[in-house]
Amino acid sequence: MADRNNVRSLDDPNIWVDTPATIFDAVPPYPPRTEREAEFYHLRDGELLINLGPQHPSTHGVLRVVLKIDGERVVDLDPVLGYLHRGVEKICENGDWHHAISNCDPLEYVASLFSEAMPVLVAEKLLGLEVPRRAEYIRVLTWELNRIASHALYTGWQALDMGGLTPILYGFIERDEIVEMLAALTGQRMLFNYLRIGGVNGDLNHDFLSRLGDWMSHAGTQLEANAQLLNENEIFVRRMRGLGIVDREAALRTCLSGPVLRATGIPYDVRRAHPYSVYPEIEFDIPTRAEGDCYARFMLHLDEVRESIRIIDQVLHEMPDGPVMAKVPRLIRIPPGRAFIAVESPRGQYACYGMSDGSDQPFRLRIHDPSFFNLQIMNSMLPGNLIADMMAIFASLDPIMGGIDK
Amino acid sequence: MRQHGDTTEIRVSPAHLTEVLRRLRDDDEFRFEVLADVAGVDTGDEMWVVYHLWSALSPDWLRVIVDGLPRDDPRVPSVTALWNGAEWAEREAYDMFGIIFEGTRDLRRIYMPPDYTSFPLRKDFLLPDDAARSPGEGFRHMEQAHQPAEQLRDPRLRRSRVD
Repeated sequence: MADRNNVRSLDDPNIWVDTPATIFDAVPPYPPRTEREAEFYHLRDGELLINLGPQHPSTHGVLRVVLKIDGERVVDLDPVLGYLHRGVEKICENGDWHHAISNCDPLEYVASLFSEAMPVLVAEKLLGLEVPRRAEYIRVLTWELNRIASHALYTGWQALDMGGLTPILYGFIERDEIVEMLAALTGQRMLFNYLRIGGVNGDLNHDFLSRLGDWMSHAGTQLEANAQLLNENEIFVRRMRGLGIVDREAALRTCLSGPVLRATGIPYDVRRAHPYSVYPEIEFDIPTRAEGDCYARFMLHLDEVRESIRIIDQVLHEMPDGPVMAKVPRLIRIPPGRAFIAVESPRGQYACYGMSDGSDQPFRLRIHDPSFFNLQIMNSMLPGNLIADMMAIFASLDPIMGGIDK
Repeated sequence: MRQHGDTTEIRVSPAHLTEVLRRLRDDDEFRFEVLADVAGVDTGDEMWVVYHLWSALSPDWLRVIVDGLPRDDPRVPSVTALWNGAEWAEREAYDMFGIIFEGTRDLRRIYMPPDYTSFPLRKDFLLPDDAARSPGEGFRHMEQAHQPAEQLRDPRLRRSRVD
């Protein structure tokens, strides 16, 4: 009879048929654990629960969101995380400090030079290690290249999630050039494993520099051309403007960072707010937008790409000669202590809190991923929007599930 | 209160946490408006919750440590009333360490499945390949991490040597 798993057939009302599991899987098979969960799974008349994900193409990986909808409107939502949880923090505690670099690599798999910097910078801070200046410049160079590669992909994704198929192809042209360039330097296209405690893995080589020179000669015009595909496209702009507005106060209270925060007009960028590496010596601006909507976030990414090109230009002109590694022993025993570091990744403040107990392994390595915090704004921003708009808003937050699920 | 490089560190008891953080955020002389991180820590003897704050008025990070939480029943007031973005971070600390944040509306596991019973980042939760690292310890299955209270103070477990 009528229970959760079967419904009347549309052909013959006397026949009960099994329903596809996807519809009712949203209802958890266990009693609600909290007040909020009980409230969420209590359906009023006309409301329906549907699953979005975990294998939905526009959830950028394996995010599952249980949506409570009324018609086409989202009433409430409950993100379910953990499909990609690997326990990176625990694994890091069980390997030594060098292992932690490659373990942290796949966290932010679109811009992994930022996540692999976490154990490196923490260890350097705990050791009080001075990194050679050439290594610092190489780091900044590769970070900014990686930021552009990530932002180029973002602009494509944003359009793709709204149904525009072309921009992602152009985004990938841009990204591929950078990624191949970094592959010439590091040997890897995605998970570079390039930073080392005390420097970087190798000096700049000819292959990298010639690719970089080629790319720099057309990067500016190519990016502008790609941007014009979208930012003057009337359909795109109309769809994005006024959608998913975040106000300043909510942005600060929800611990947002990166483009999502700066699109609300708060110029918080770790490169300036708490300078690290050689950023204090480099001239660049922090672009902000006041509107806080999807369009502002999109345009902000383009502005940041321009600033990154400016940074790369300066770095290449001021790159000093010298070693790229400090003198560090193979087996590092880090003196007991704790340290907190943060860098500005393409998605916001990537931070790490490390504790050492004097052994060669981290005692605790807490990774703060910006997408994890940025994603929380969904809970307050999405209700009231259409399901189709939800995709656009979701893409504009630019989450990376590898970091969210750790 | 002490200084670690560019980080100032203060320690508070759970009872004063909310008041301290509210003053740090709202007073005009502090203005620590950015909550940079919320982290649980198991030192092997006790539980901590560590908050990092940032203010435009100071070049330092501010670290607020709630320490001395008993390992068998760690309880801390939630800061979601001050920063609602701390909600998922608190859920994560609950999931990984079993730290109970009081006053939050939605404290459930965030990564592990709902029927999971262990707290994976606790120091007494050993991975199968830890057997190689702990002579005489042998293989212990991951899900058997709930130990009687005496065994929680097993001297062979790793402890923080930082005070």
